[in-house]
Amino acid sequence: MEKRGFLKSLLVGAVSAPVLLEACKKSDAATVSSGTGTVTNTGSQSSSSTCTVAPTETEGPFPTKAPASYNRSDIRDGSSGHKMTVKLTIGNTNNNCNGLAGAIVDIWHCDAAGNYSEYGGTGMQSTNYQSVHFLRGRQITDANGLVTFTSIFPGWYSGRATHVHVHVYNASGTSLKVTQIAFPEGAGTAVAVVNGYSKGMSGYTTNAKDNVFSDDAAKNQIATVTGSTDSGFELAIKMNVAG
Amino acid sequence: MLPDKSGMEPGNDNKMNRVITFCYRKIIDAGSVRPWEKMVFDDTYQEFRMQFQFFNQQRKFNSFAGLLHESPLEAEKMHFLVSAAASGYVKQLSGRIPDIFNALGRQFLVFSNFSFEVINSDMNERDKHQVAVSFYSEPLTWHDTIGDQMLLSDIKQEGNEILTHLVRLQPFLSIHSLNYV
Repeated sequence: MEKRGFLKSLLVGAVSAPVLLEACKKSDAATVSSGTGTVTNTGSQSSSSTCTVAPTETEGPFPTKAPASYNRSDIRDGSSGHKMTVKLTIGNTNNNCNGLAGAIVDIWHCDAAGNYSEYGGTGMQSTNYQSVHFLRGRQITDANGLVTFTSIFPGWYSGRATHVHVHVYNASGTSLKVTQIAFPEGAGTAVAVVNGYSKGMSGYTTNAKDNVFSDDAAKNQIATVTGSTDSGFELAIKMNVAG
Repeated sequence: MLPDKSGMEPGNDNKMNRVITFCYRKIIDAGSVRPWEKMVFDDTYQEFRMQFQFFNQQRKFNSFAGLLHESPLEAEKMHFLVSAAASGYVKQLSGRIPDIFNALGRQFLVFSNFSFEVINSDMNERDKHQVAVSFYSEPLTWHDTIGDQMLLSDIKQEGNEILTHLVRLQPFLSIHSLNYV
C-alpha cells in the first residue's frame, strides 16, 4: 500500500503537490459529513507519502488533569518585597453572612514596582512557561469561608491607591462579585511603613482620591493590616456575597 | 571526486551556518480527539468562561469576538489570563513539541517557549471555543535541503561527525527565525 502510494506520488509529480497538501490538511481536520456522492479522494496514502510522517513511537506520556496555574496558596513566584499573608473570609448574605464554603476566590495585585504580571505584553509573544502568572492566585474557601494566600505587600502606580483585586465565583465558576481591597493609610499604617518601596510616596493617590475607593464612605473595602517589614504583614478582611 | 550535490561534503559553498527556530501552531477545538487536546480544550474553556465575566460585568456580549470588538485592549488580556489553564498541560509535554515527526517518525523538536491564544469562544456555545498553543523550537542548524526535506542538526555538537534530522515542512509548521552565524 505504502509503496503504491509513493509510486503514485512520483508519477503525478510536482504540479499536484499543493493539492495533495490540501488533501492532507483536510484529513488533519477530520471533518466527516454524512450524505451521498462518489468517492473522489480514495484515501490518505498518497498524501501521507507527500506530507507528514506518521508517528512511530511509544505512546505517551499520558496527560493528567492539571489545574490552572493560579491554584496555589503562595503566589509570589520569586517576586521580591515584604511578605504579606492575605486572609479573606467570604460571607454569604443569603445565610446571615455566615462563611460561604466552596467558593472560588481569585486575587491579583501589582508587584513592588507597581507592575502586573500580564503587562509584559500580549499573548502573542512567546514566553517561558515558568512564573508568568506571578501575584495571581486562586483558592477555594474552607468550611468557614476562609482562603489564605502568601504574597508580597503590593507597590503602587500612578492614579491608584494601594489595592488588591478580588473576584469571587461560586463552585461552578459563575461570578458572584468583582471587587477590590483597600489599605489603611496614614502615620503608622503598613502603607506608610513600606513607603512605596524604592519609589517613595510622592504622587501617591490616597483612598479618598481613588476613583474606586472614594465612594466607600463606610470603609467596607478597607482591610485590617498588621505586622512589620521584618516579620511580614497580615491582611484580613471579610467580604459578603450573595452565595 | 566531484562534490556531492547534497551538500554533505565539508567545504561546500555555505560559508555561514543558517540557524533557525521553528514555530508549530497547534489548533485545539471541539473536533480535537486526543486526551491532551481534550483536557486543554475543557480547561481553557472553563477558564475562559470564568475570566470573561470580569470583562463583561454589564453582560453586553457573549463571545470573544464581541469583547474584541467592544474593548480590544481588554480582549488582549484574555490570551494571558486563559493561558494559565493550559500551562500545566504544556509542562507535561516535558519540552518536546508534539505532532511534528522527523523522517524516522520520531518527535525531535524541543521547546522552552510557547504562546497561547484564544481564537474564538463563546460563553454559551462550547463548540465555538477554539484556542492555539504555539511552540517555539530551540535553535537548529539548517545544513541543506534534500528533495522536500530539510537537513537539520542540533546546534551544540562538537567534532566532525554531526548527528542530523530530516524533516518536511507541513501545515502549521513554519520557520520562526533565521540567523546567519
